[in-house]
Amino acid sequence: MVTRGIALLLGLLLVATAVRVSFGPVSVDGAIRMAFDLPSSSALALRGSAVFGAALLGGALGLSGLALQVLLRNPLAEPFVLGVSSGAGFGVALVLAGAYAFSAPAVAFGGEAGGAIVGAAATLGLVIWLSRSREGHDPTRLILAGVIVGSVFASATMLVEQMVPHGLRGDLMSWMAGRLPEIPEPQMLWVLAILVAAAALFMLWRARALDVACLSDDEVLTSGVSLGRLRAQLFLVAGALAAAAVAFAGPIGFVGLVAPHAARRLVGPSHRALVMATLVAGAALLVFADCVRQFIDVGTGRLPIGVVTALAGGPTFLWLLRRTRWTA
Amino acid sequence: MDRMMSARNLRVRIGATLALDDVSLEVGRGALVAVVGPNACGKSTLLRTLAGILVPERGTVEILGLPLHELSLGTRARALALVPQRPEVSAPFTAREVVSLGRYAVGSDWRRVDAALADTGLAERADVLCSSLSGGERQRVAIARALAQVGKDAVLLLDEPFSGVDPGEVARLIPVLRARADGGAVLVSIHDAGLARAFATHAIVLEGGKVVAAGEARATLTAPTLSQAYGHPMEETDGWIAPQLRFGR
Repeated sequence: MVTRGIALLLGLLLVATAVRVSFGPVSVDGAIRMAFDLPSSSALALRGSAVFGAALLGGALGLSGLALQVLLRNPLAEPFVLGVSSGAGFGVALVLAGAYAFSAPAVAFGGEAGGAIVGAAATLGLVIWLSRSREGHDPTRLILAGVIVGSVFASATMLVEQMVPHGLRGDLMSWMAGRLPEIPEPQMLWVLAILVAAAALFMLWRARALDVACLSDDEVLTSGVSLGRLRAQLFLVAGALAAAAVAFAGPIGFVGLVAPHAARRLVGPSHRALVMATLVAGAALLVFADCVRQFIDVGTGRLPIGVVTALAGGPTFLWLLRRTRWTA
Repeated sequence: MDRMMSARNLRVRIGATLALDDVSLEVGRGALVAVVGPNACGKSTLLRTLAGILVPERGTVEILGLPLHELSLGTRARALALVPQRPEVSAPFTAREVVSLGRYAVGSDWRRVDAALADTGLAERADVLCSSLSGGERQRVAIARALAQVGKDAVLLLDEPFSGVDPGEVARLIPVLRARADGGAVLVSIHDAGLARAFATHAIVLEGGKVVAAGEARATLTAPTLSQAYGHPMEETDGWIAPQLRFGR
């Protein structure tokens, strides 16, 4: 079941990659249009780096969602639903607006990432604190707190948008809808790749403890797992991945929810297989979503990838909300 | 008596409430101890403190003569296992997978896992998702996980393990707990004083966070003691203790 599941996900990733690499902008008589083609080696390299970026981003979002689902013992947890993406987005918007206001030089990835990390960590901490009760984390309260805090940060980001000049406003707005870079900066790719690899290795190393963490607190604490340390580690992993994803492409919803669930259905709940399957499922989902948006032009250019993932992921979330009854 | 576990002058607060006040106990090898008392008397708090989950404001817990707080998590997981009042499984694991999680600190051993499932009457339901099991079956999965976790020379702490379990299964579980008590010790919090008197070797009666009676089960779980603890008259009929029921017109 495990081998077959991972092979299926890898197959989907390969197909999506092949389609995405074969399809893109070509120049015909000086005009740019989209078409299937056999790209030149330079175009192949460009599209390849865009696909690599999308795959890394999907993997980061998937693993972040998985870490949050274990951390909060809630199958509906993911960075977007918990407001973490919006918080990170607000951090980045503040950095960009601040750079403009103080006429600072163009903000490099480091600055945006700093804003995203602070925003993500602050939001995650706030949502967890708000959802705490004497019995632990109340799942309903957690989702409600995430939605409200996320809405507040999304509105605050819109406020920042209104305070900046038109050009930057347009940039911020399209970035807030989730914008996958066509030509990602190599250092961005490196940072994301290292983060995703480190997170995946950590979660694989702690796979058995992650399994045990699905039991009640009292059972975990008497099974030999240091629950406080594991939760702190998962908080860091989930927050860092969500922050890096937002700094890379803006807030992109529901991949962190759909990827772990799809992976669980294919390989089962044991984290030894689930971590790798979630990584590949997240990558495949985002590359596939990137393929889909290449075919849809509503007259203003291709759709932001965040719109595609939200249109597909929102109904999936509602479906899961209705049928998920895991807590036994 | 070979001492398995002891507690001295435990004082534990839950928020502003004094949940345990000056509680001391000694549990010898071979003891099957029933912890009895009304709601909120401190039964769960006592078991969670003995398991090392709650840190007492004052007092100490020792297991096999060693201070509990000085033991590593792994050593502790080999020395004792806990079945909480409300076990949880927040992922789609089967009963067998959940029971195998008990082996986290001690190493995988599928024979022990299958033996624990058989002991709790779950062998036929081993591959069923926990979320599809009944409440009583889930409770037995939690008991099986604890049985698989520790060897026969360890301490088992069970917080209301029979809630939701049918009488037939309770009758089948009791010999399993007695067998575990033979090599180590078992503490069980329970509301049914009559049942406790029937299967326990010893008993502790708690009221308002204090021990009001302790000793051999039959001598401790008496109608007068329990009437005082529960604030309701209890009566003994044919060796069985139950609350007096009056149905007025």
